[in-house]
Amino acid sequence: MVSTEPCLIKLHAFEGPIDLLLYLIKKNEVNIYDIPIAVITEQYLMYLEVMRELNLEIVGDYLMIAAELGLIKSKMLLPKPEVEEEEGDPRAELVRRLLEYQRYKEAAGALLAFDILERDVFTRIIQDEDDSDEINQPVRTDLWSLIEAFRAIWNRKDFSSISDIKLELELITLEQTVSELITKLKTHKNVLFEALFSENPTRFEIIITFLAVLELIKSGLLIAYQDFSYSPIQILYVGDNPPYYSKVVDEIK
Amino acid sequence: METNNIKKAIETIIFISERPVSSKRLLQVFQDLKKEEIQKYLDELVNEWNALDRGFKLHEVADGYQFRTNPEYSEIIIRFKQSKPFRLSRAALEVLAITAYRQPVTRIEIDEIRGVDSSGVIGLLLEKRLTEIKGRKEVIGRPFLYGTTEVFLEAFGLKSLADLPTLKELVEIEKSLEESVKVY
Repeated sequence: MVSTEPCLIKLHAFEGPIDLLLYLIKKNEVNIYDIPIAVITEQYLMYLEVMRELNLEIVGDYLMIAAELGLIKSKMLLPKPEVEEEEGDPRAELVRRLLEYQRYKEAAGALLAFDILERDVFTRIIQDEDDSDEINQPVRTDLWSLIEAFRAIWNRKDFSSISDIKLELELITLEQTVSELITKLKTHKNVLFEALFSENPTRFEIIITFLAVLELIKSGLLIAYQDFSYSPIQILYVGDNPPYYSKVVDEIK
Repeated sequence: METNNIKKAIETIIFISERPVSSKRLLQVFQDLKKEEIQKYLDELVNEWNALDRGFKLHEVADGYQFRTNPEYSEIIIRFKQSKPFRLSRAALEVLAITAYRQPVTRIEIDEIRGVDSSGVIGLLLEKRLTEIKGRKEVIGRPFLYGTTEVFLEAFGLKSLADLPTLKELVEIEKSLEESVKVY
């Protein structure tokens, strides 16, 4: 049987509800000044649902934005008052927030383009080793990227084909998958996220492998990281060698 | 001291220093020289070093001068030092950008922009000395105000905060927002 242990990952390690909204707007290629609130709200809630199904803890921030979206949606459904009130577009405040966040997100990206000390350029004498150790952490992969990567693998396969429907019982447990993963990662240390899945996985394999990865990240044995933001996700086994990464693990916890 | 020797003397001071050397600091050492004279030597040194086809150059960083290797050798240096290159998480970069552009800024203001609690990341940036507490805001609760440090300028190779790329002006965004509201 699949373990029913809940797998909790705290969302505050990720970028938050505004980031999710911005992502949905970009994905749907809609005009930020004319957001189709109904569509976006529906997708936003779908994401929260996915998070709930994966047993991810949904923090209040996400629910607050969900409530705000609901309010805007209902305001837009109301007939416009005869006398034009000063309120204007109910979406205006949300748009302002999204744009403001986007500006800083872009600014953050721009910082990476500089010649960064200890990455691109070096000086003759550099900070003591302790310092540089702390500073030199890989970029932790956020939950959205992990879910996106999961979906990419999920969508790669055409499950509708009849040949995929097998009536044999698959008796792989989460524990088995976890220990298989550990064996695989112990020999390779770090592996591309995609490479964790077999070439022709069944739905069940995809899900159980993904759950096993989340479980191992949660217990601090694995770290999902990227060399830099938006580069391929890599999975690193740190079970035997926690000191260097202990800080990262602490943060994830 | 002979003119040419003064220039070389300045060069040696920069060479042996761990941190960027400011013209103010040099003024304390070369007491007979005027600020403009020192600046002239520094400009010449920068030009001369940059004209030489060497693996490092003289850079103006954080209001001072420092020798820095050229970026094309980063990989080989990292291999030699067996170190991991400098990295910050996306969250840390976001908070750092907000702090840099909005300083002095409170945690609540940062949280509002990001839509999430940023206290952990703020702590991390303080620990790395990329940001620091600049004071308290005189509002209820007297929250801390955060700003960037010299270490931040050094880490990103900036002369001063004015070197940061300009953000799209808020005014501009608000203008276009008003227009779209009219359409609605």
